[in-house]
Amino acid sequence: MVGFLILLHFGLHLSLGLGEAAPDFLVVALLIGAREVDIGWGAGLGFFLGILDDAFSVLAFGANAFAMTLVGMGGARTRELFVGDSLLFLTSYLVVGKWMRDLLHWVAAGEGLRESFVDTMLIQAPISAAYAGLVGLVVISISGLGWETVR
Amino acid sequence: MPIYTSDASGSGKARSGLKAFGFVLLSVIVLYIPDPSQDQVASLLRGSLLRPFVLTQESLVRRRIHAEDTEVLQRRLDSLAAVIVNSNTLSEENTRLRSLLDLSERNPALYAPASVIRPGTPGSESMFMLDVGMRDGVSKDSPVIMGGGLLGKVREAQSTNSTAMDWTHPQFWAGAMTEDGVIYGFVEASPSRLREADRLLLNGIPFHQELEPGVALVTSGSGGVYPRGIPIGEVIEESDAREGWSRSYWLRPFVSPGEATHVQVLVSSGVEFTGANSWLEGRPVVPSPARESDEAAEDSPSTEVGTLR
Repeated sequence: MVGFLILLHFGLHLSLGLGEAAPDFLVVALLIGAREVDIGWGAGLGFFLGILDDAFSVLAFGANAFAMTLVGMGGARTRELFVGDSLLFLTSYLVVGKWMRDLLHWVAAGEGLRESFVDTMLIQAPISAAYAGLVGLVVISISGLGWETVR
Repeated sequence: MPIYTSDASGSGKARSGLKAFGFVLLSVIVLYIPDPSQDQVASLLRGSLLRPFVLTQESLVRRRIHAEDTEVLQRRLDSLAAVIVNSNTLSEENTRLRSLLDLSERNPALYAPASVIRPGTPGSESMFMLDVGMRDGVSKDSPVIMGGGLLGKVREAQSTNSTAMDWTHPQFWAGAMTEDGVIYGFVEASPSRLREADRLLLNGIPFHQELEPGVALVTSGSGGVYPRGIPIGEVIEESDAREGWSRSYWLRPFVSPGEATHVQVLVSSGVEFTGANSWLEGRPVVPSPARESDEAAEDSPSTEVGTLR
């Protein structure tokens, strides 16, 4: 499933050039995948997906890798910190995970390149996080990943 | 990747934590390695794992361009033909005057036509890929233009493709002057809160010189990247950002990066481009006197790069 989401992400963003119109399947793949592995592999998966995203970044190369590594690590850690797979938890997990990824990317992008905090993190990022959360729930519900509540 | 099991042992957790720390450290290193090394890593990924996606978009972009309305293309062709016909007299006059002054023939600029590929991934807002590369004569810093004016420059050239940045990139700058060559300055990108409203800032205009709204700016040739005379944009109004005894002006660029699908790249001279999609089927945009150009058309097949004088 993680592999399929990665292919879907680059297929929609890169091959079809949809850009922001397509959801961030890469972070959804990471958040789903990270729940299945330990924090070491979670960070590794995040780094791999982030560096792939960075291949087209001339503004802040490495910012995606940094953000995704930390999100992957955090995603894997939630398994130990939060027990349960309620709809509320999964929604929060996906939405907060995506918002955190955007926040970390904003921080790592550097002062000279990033746009204003209010515009990026309080307007664009929540919309994009809600979009990714919704898509993530759909993916989990139809894929049978072992998370019983949403199926 | 091993599936997670609840490993209660301390050593397992420590190993996992160490691995995670290693990846975090690696990501920080990637963030701070020098630009050339970053470009190498990015280039490697684009040329290997992500190559199939890039090729798919290349193919789709080509199809889209080929499907463009033929009426629009016909109108453009008619406009170009009118420009060429009107320029014949000028061209003859130029040749005559040059011979009177004993000036050598001016080297024509060579342009390779290219399709624009937009990655659409986070952080790639000011960059695009081109389906021409070093094989076609493209090199680092080659200027990229569209019908209306300057779009940007090549950042990195590979053998069959290249990556370029448009004028919205924070590192973009170009020497600029008014069309009559009287007032000189330099333009740089000025990102706005909404990327759609990005515009250019013209700096370094001496305080005693003023520009009226609507005045067109072209590249001045200073800096050695962009040749003289490529249209950049027109003055909107004076900016408040004054530095010492100089003025700054907001510019509305003639070219919108979002509209770029088909562009021309200024290539190194001496490289024969074999692409069939060249300007005016290989003829100069401003042809030599009619007799000479007719003879040339009969003698040689049209497989050269479109040329500008």
